[in-house]
Amino acid sequence: MKHALRWARSGGALTIAILLLLGGSGHAFAADTLDSIRARGELLWGADAEGGAPYVYPDPEHPEKLIGFEVDLANALANRLGVKARVVQNQWDQLIPALERGNFDIILNGLEITPQNQQQINFARPYYVYAQQIVTLTGTTNLTTLADLKGHPVGVLAATAAQRLVQAFGGIDVRIYPGNVENFQDMKAGRIDAAVLDLPIALFYAKPDPALRLSGEPFAPGYYGIGVRRTDPELLAALNQAIADLLADGTIEKIDRKYGLWDERQAVLKDYHQEAVAQRKTISTLREWPKYLPLLLRGAVTTIELSVLGMALAMVTGLVIVLIRLYSVAPFRWFAQAYVEFIRGTPLLIQLFLIYYGLPEIGIRLNAFVAAVVGLGLNYAASEAENYRAGIQAVPRGQMEAAQALGMSHGQALRHVILPQALRMVIPPVTNDFIAMFKDSSIVSVITMVELTKVYGMLAMSTYDYIGLGLMTAGIYFALSYPASIFAGRLERRLQRDRR
Amino acid sequence: MIVVEQLVKSFGSNRVLHGIDHTQSRGEAVVLIGPSGCGKSTFLRCLNQLETADSGSISVAGVTVKSGQKESRAASHKLQRELRMKTGMVFQQFNLFPHLTALQNVTTAPVVVKRMNRRAAEVLGRELLAKVGLEQKADAYPAQLSGGQQQRVAIARALAMQPEVMLFDEPTSALDPELRDEVLRVMRQLVEEGMTTIVVTHEMQFARDMADKVLFFDAGRVAESGPPEEIFGNPRNERTREFLKRVAVK
Ligand SMILES: Nc1ncnc2c1ncn2[C@@H]1O[C@H](COP(=O)(O)OP(=O)(O)OP(=O)(O)O)[C@@H](O)[C@H]1O
Ligand SMILES: [Mg+2]
Repeated sequence: MKHALRWARSGGALTIAILLLLGGSGHAFAADTLDSIRARGELLWGADAEGGAPYVYPDPEHPEKLIGFEVDLANALANRLGVKARVVQNQWDQLIPALERGNFDIILNGLEITPQNQQQINFARPYYVYAQQIVTLTGTTNLTTLADLKGHPVGVLAATAAQRLVQAFGGIDVRIYPGNVENFQDMKAGRIDAAVLDLPIALFYAKPDPALRLSGEPFAPGYYGIGVRRTDPELLAALNQAIADLLADGTIEKIDRKYGLWDERQAVLKDYHQEAVAQRKTISTLREWPKYLPLLLRGAVTTIELSVLGMALAMVTGLVIVLIRLYSVAPFRWFAQAYVEFIRGTPLLIQLFLIYYGLPEIGIRLNAFVAAVVGLGLNYAASEAENYRAGIQAVPRGQMEAAQALGMSHGQALRHVILPQALRMVIPPVTNDFIAMFKDSSIVSVITMVELTKVYGMLAMSTYDYIGLGLMTAGIYFALSYPASIFAGRLERRLQRDRR
Repeated sequence: MIVVEQLVKSFGSNRVLHGIDHTQSRGEAVVLIGPSGCGKSTFLRCLNQLETADSGSISVAGVTVKSGQKESRAASHKLQRELRMKTGMVFQQFNLFPHLTALQNVTTAPVVVKRMNRRAAEVLGRELLAKVGLEQKADAYPAQLSGGQQQRVAIARALAMQPEVMLFDEPTSALDPELRDEVLRVMRQLVEEGMTTIVVTHEMQFARDMADKVLFFDAGRVAESGPPEEIFGNPRNERTREFLKRVAVK
C-alpha cells in the first residue's frame, strides 16, 4: 500500500543503516513480548497515519483522533488479549526495521504477506484479502488489464505490492508517488493515464469520485497480515487465536462493512492455512555489487544532471535578482527582495509540491525533471542572489568611481569592473551551495523523480540490505562531493593569496 | 577651457562649497591647496560629476552642465557622461582594477566606452605605459606593483581616454616618500607637454615649480589665488599664511 514522504524516509533509512553499523542491531528481548504486553497492559501497534484512509487516518471531524478499519481491529485484538491498544506512528516503508528495533510490538497497517516480508518477520494469520485495482479517469475505457497499461505512464504508491507488480510486469512507464492524493491529482492533471492500487484504497478514494473509475476486475489478490518479531512465538500464537475468534464471531466482517471494505473474497480468511515459508535469505548487495552498483550509478547520473542544471539556473536567476534588487527602481526592487525572503522563508519541499502539483491547476504542466530543476534552481537562486550581494558590496566604492570617471556608464562599470571582482569572491560560497544542492536534490523524489537516494530506497526495500546499499550510496555521494569540496578549498586559498 | 560659476554643494545640511568661481585656460596648470576638509576633493569630484552640485554651472571644453535645473534624467545623464569624457581623474588610492593587468586597466575604457578596436587600444595602451615608464609591467597585476607604479598605471589609464583636462586628487599622499618622485616626474612631464591640469597636493615644491596659478581653499571658498611666487612669497590672506607656515614646519 501507501505513501511515506520518500525523501525523509530514505534519509532516515540511510541513518538507520549507519546506526546499525555503529551500534549493532538490538534484539535484546529475552522474554516473549506477550509477557511485557500483559505486564504493561498495552499493545503497541506500529502504523502510519499519513498513509491515509481507510487504514488509519485522522478523523475529518476530529482531526486529533485516529480512525480506520485497522484502528477498530487493533482495539478488538487488544480487547481479546485483555489489554488496551496504543498506536505508534512510524513511516510506512520503515515499519519492519522499526519493529525489529523494538519500537512497538506488532505491525498492523496493510502490510502484505509476501515472501520478501516473510524473510524478515513472522505474520499472524491474515485479516484481510486485498487485490490490485486499476483506476483511470472516467473517460478512459481501454485500460482494464496490466497488459493494456504497457507504454502508458502509470502511478503506484511507493513501496507497495502494486509497485513491485507493475515494475515486474515490464514495459509500463512507472511513476512512484509518496501518497494517494498526489497520485489521483496527477492523473487529473494528465501526467499519468492510470494508477494501480490496493483495492481498499481504490474503494475508499476513487469509487466515490465521479472523475475516476475502477477499470476492469481486481486482480493479484493477496493478504494483509499482522507483523510480529521472529523472537515472539507466544505473541504470534495469541494473535492467531484472537484473529480466529474475531473471524468466527463476525467482528472482522462488521468492521470491514463499516468502512465499505467487505466483499465475498473475505470468506476464505476463515479457513486459512499458512504455507511453509522459506528461511530468510540474506542478500549481501556488497558481495553482489556488480548487480547493484550500476543501478545506483544510474541514479547518480540523474542526481548530477539535476544538480548541475539546477545550479546553472540558480546562478543565472540569482544574478538577475541581485541586479534588480541593487540597481533597479522601487517596485521591482521590492519584488526581488520579497522573492528572496519568501523563498528563504519556506521549505523546498513545499515549493516543489507547489510547482509540480499546484501549477497544473492554473494550466502550467511541467514534467517531473523540469519541475525538479526549476524547483531546485529557483530555490537556490535566492541563496545565490544573497551570495552575489555580499560579493558586490565587498567591492570597494572606489572601483565604481574609477570606472565612472573613465566615462563608463553604470551598466558598463558593473559588467566590466564590479561583477568580475564580485563573482571571483563568491566562487567559494557558490561551490559550497552546489555541494549542498547535490545532496538536497534527493528531496525531488517526492515529485516522482528517481535519483540516487530514491534508487537506494527502492533497492533497500527489495533486498533489506540497508547497510550494504547505504555504504555504497553514501560512498557515491562522497566520491562526487569531496572533489568539489577540495576544489572549493583550493580556489578559496588562491583567491585569498591574490588579494591585496 | 574650464569655467566654473557659483558652484554650491552640500552634504545634507553641511554646505561644503559656497559658490566657487574658477576660470582656467587651455594648457594651464592649477594647484589647489588648503586645510583638510575645506572641500578640495569635493570640488574635483564635482568637476567630473562624481558628485552632483546643488547649483551653479561647470563648463569644460565646451560641455556645460548646469546644476539645480529641471531636466530629464536621461538628458542630464548624457551631459554628465560627456563632461566625464573631457576629464581624467587620478585618485589618492589609485583605484586600479585588481582583476585586470596593467595593460587591461589602460585599454578597457577605450574599448568599452569608445568602442575602440582592441588592437588599436593595445597599441595606445603600451604607448601610454611606456610614457609613464612601465612598458615592462604591461602584464603585471596591480597587486604585483609598488604604490608608485600603480599610481603611474592609473595616470596612463586616465590618459587613455584622451581627456582635455587631468584632475589629480592628492596623487602622492598614499605613497612612501621615496616613491613620490616617480609619480611627480610623470606629472611634470604632462604639464610641460601642455596638458590642462588641476592638482590637489601638499607637495609645495611641485606647486612652486609647475603651477601657473595656485588656489588656496578655505572652508568651501577660494580664499586667495594667484601665481605661486605671489601666494608662497607674499600671501595676503591671514589663513593662507597660517596654512603655509604649518606646511613648511612639516
Ligand atoms: N560623501 C560625503 N558625505 C558627507 N559629507 C562629505 C562627503 N564627502 C565629503 N564630505 C564632507 O565635506 C567636507 C569636505 O570634504 P573634502 O573631502 O572635499 O575635503 P578635502 O579638502 O578634500 O580634505 P582632505 O584634505 O582631507 O582630503 C568634509 O567636511 C567632509 O566631511
Ligand atoms: Mg581630499
